[in-house]
Amino acid sequence: MKINCLLVTKVLTNFIREESHKAGFEQNIIGLSGGLDSTVCSYLAVKAVGPQNLFALIMPFKDYDQEGVRLAEEVCKILGINFEKIDISPQIEAYFSSHLTDNPVLRGNKMARERMSILYDYSARMKAMILGTSNKTELLIGYGTIHGDLACGINPMGDLYKTQVGQLARYLGVPEKILKRKPTAGLWPGQTDEDEIGLSYEELDKILFRLVDERMTLEEAIKTDLEEKKVRQVAELIRKSEYKRKMPPVAKLSERTVGHDFLYPYDWGK
Amino acid sequence: MKVAIAQISSVLGRVDKNLERHLELIEKAVKEKAELIIFPELSLTGYSLKDLVPEVAIRPDSSEVMARLLAASKDIDLVIGLVEERRENPGIFYNSAAYLSLGKIAHIHRKVFLPTSGMFEEARFFARGHDFRAFPIGSNRTGLLICRDFLHYSSSYCLMADGAGLIIAVSAAPGRGITDEGSQCFQSSPNWELMGQAISYFSSAYVIYCNRVGIEDGATFAGGSFIYTPDGQLNLKLPYLEPDFSLQEINLDLIRIARKNRPYKRDDRPEAIWRSLGRLIRVQDED
Repeated sequence: MKINCLLVTKVLTNFIREESHKAGFEQNIIGLSGGLDSTVCSYLAVKAVGPQNLFALIMPFKDYDQEGVRLAEEVCKILGINFEKIDISPQIEAYFSSHLTDNPVLRGNKMARERMSILYDYSARMKAMILGTSNKTELLIGYGTIHGDLACGINPMGDLYKTQVGQLARYLGVPEKILKRKPTAGLWPGQTDEDEIGLSYEELDKILFRLVDERMTLEEAIKTDLEEKKVRQVAELIRKSEYKRKMPPVAKLSERTVGHDFLYPYDWGK
Repeated sequence: MKVAIAQISSVLGRVDKNLERHLELIEKAVKEKAELIIFPELSLTGYSLKDLVPEVAIRPDSSEVMARLLAASKDIDLVIGLVEERRENPGIFYNSAAYLSLGKIAHIHRKVFLPTSGMFEEARFFARGHDFRAFPIGSNRTGLLICRDFLHYSSSYCLMADGAGLIIAVSAAPGRGITDEGSQCFQSSPNWELMGQAISYFSSAYVIYCNRVGIEDGATFAGGSFIYTPDGQLNLKLPYLEPDFSLQEINLDLIRIARKNRPYKRDDRPEAIWRSLGRLIRVQDED
């Protein structure tokens, strides 16, 4: 599963530069959490378009992830990019004060969508392309909020597993503190992805690689060194989250229907 | 003969913009005294067309675009990629490559093998071509292949059997595979070189491969165009992933020398191949 970092960096920096320019953007914008994915994506973007063409938004909720905020600011300093810090607590609290819940996932989803809502607002204000930071692991198991962190203009990270993002981070010289942090979606203080999913990223990526990249059937995958229960769990996560990877189905009525047989490329005319 | 390879990207669905780019590079190649310039697969339109196919199609006998390229071909031979709609077969669209020479269409090859699996969906939008045919250019015979055609070695065999000393494969091959740590290229790229070396050597023919670069809908076209001599020697290699315009002198006498020294062409037995194919097709039909 090891990747050729030199080649991947070249391809992804070309991707950011070309797709962003083709869509008519000079500027790019990213939501920076102080975690691995958004940091690596920022490093790639600076290589692609230069620090002057990347703007970061750091959007904490209360003091849920103070270390993340500190690290995100450090990344901006290292890369020489402009950023703004926006506390999303007032609007999130305003909503939940009248819509009570103690379900942390509901709160987390709302926060993710609030952050994306701000990113889209800034995108329009600044005429900047939103860089997505969802990696292949998250996309495949659906570990992300639809219209929240899963939304973006373009996604340079979506074909790299989390462990491969880690490898690329080392190659790009991302600070050790960020590499060593336990991945967190910041849903509540002290939350970690691996605890929530119930698998380590290493286990998860190994199973996904067998099922997706090597196209093994469940039976074939189970016959390797993988644990049956975990393989079945991951396969079920993939199946159940397909809706997060697609535009929603349109009810077909006419001869030619958006989403069915009105088929144009994304880069139409570009 | 001096050959120019235009390893370019295209604007997706914009024939007007692509034509201008073609004409610029043709002018440059003429200034450099090249006798042939080769553009990639679907160079006039871009690759990931989907429903744009009918909208960007060109009728070779009446198109203004073709007229301008034919005019340019009075100074230099051209290989261009287009969506072709024939007057006698309206509404049917081919992924075609045209060889233009001396103001005329010397040959149009319609892609036979349309990849339609995984990320590819060509047969959804294009009709299949039916023939591999070499055609005379000067004192030599030339054959055209389009991308996947070249990865089916039977295609090149047909051109060799038809006497081609120059096999030109144009391509829009996206790169895939990133786990080969020491490499400069996608893991899919060396397959083309493997085929280029084998086909050039065993056909005693020049193989010129022109692949495009750029990105469409997230897929990166891999570049890495090349020329192999009729001895199977690498004669020119363009960079991976980057746009490029390269000129290379090729010596068509090497075709004769290679065929004299290693008589694969002389000893070829198309009738035995034909008999074998005839038998296996009959048997398949009976199943």
